[in-house]
Amino acid sequence: MQIECPFCGKRDAHEFAYLGDATVARPDPAVPDAARAFYEYVYLRDNPAGSHRELWYHSAGCHSWLVVTRDTRTHAIETIAQVGAR
Amino acid sequence: MSDPMPNPRFAFAGHLTAIGSLVAGAGITLMPKDDLALATVIARKGQAGVLGERVQALFGIPLPARPKRAAAGKIAFIGTGPGQWLAIEESSGDPQSFAAKLATEFAGSGSVCDQSDGRAVIRVSGPRARHVLAKGLPVDLHPRAFGPGDAALSQIALISTLLWQIDEAPTYEIAVFRSMAGSFADWLIASGAEYGIAAMS
Ligand SMILES: [Zn+2]
Repeated sequence: MQIECPFCGKRDAHEFAYLGDATVARPDPAVPDAARAFYEYVYLRDNPAGSHRELWYHSAGCHSWLVVTRDTRTHAIETIAQVGAR
Repeated sequence: MSDPMPNPRFAFAGHLTAIGSLVAGAGITLMPKDDLALATVIARKGQAGVLGERVQALFGIPLPARPKRAAAGKIAFIGTGPGQWLAIEESSGDPQSFAAKLATEFAGSGSVCDQSDGRAVIRVSGPRARHVLAKGLPVDLHPRAFGPGDAALSQIALISTLLWQIDEAPTYEIAVFRSMAGSFADWLIASGAEYGIAAMS
């Protein structure tokens, strides 16, 4: 599997670190049921067979965080975008 | 009794002795670049345009937005990430003053950190330079894919490397973290032995 880093170009997946689901948002720790919200945020992750938006980090390259939309069954990549481009 | 000042020691000092004397017809020539001033430059939020104008005005260099090396005279800037560069001054008699000068000039638009003692740079050239690098670098260096002025951040033998191409000889320069200079030299010598290596100082 190769990932086309918007800065570096196409690189082997070994150059990247995988963080996981890019669709979940960190809960507000001030809300009354924060403990339950964090439990769901940290542990109850979906594991879809198909299209998935996920975070990858180009750790062996330019150190960009990327949002990659990937088909988990085929590794076919639909879109790649930089997170927080300067 | 006061502490003695440590003697300056170049990063590759003692690490290339295994090569011995100059090999006639060597496929690879190694040359440590000991006289460089190095500094990382990172654009402040929303200030990359201003920083680019400063670099253009000061050095006549268009700040590369891609993994490229842009140079004029003794100064070069290499794109190392979005909004990030490695700045280099050749033949610097006073490396620390380069970062200090950049920090003053880029105040408000860029953050500067001296890396003159933090990175070690070695020049790899010769007709078999591509062959030896292909043993460790997962980046296509074929002339169709990579040429003079191109740069790449990657890893060789698990050592983080920043590589850029100088000319079509081909000549490459590679920066590694200084503490990895010995391990990287070992990899170069072991991987290049079959082509014949010459070391220049
Ligand atoms: Zn990258």
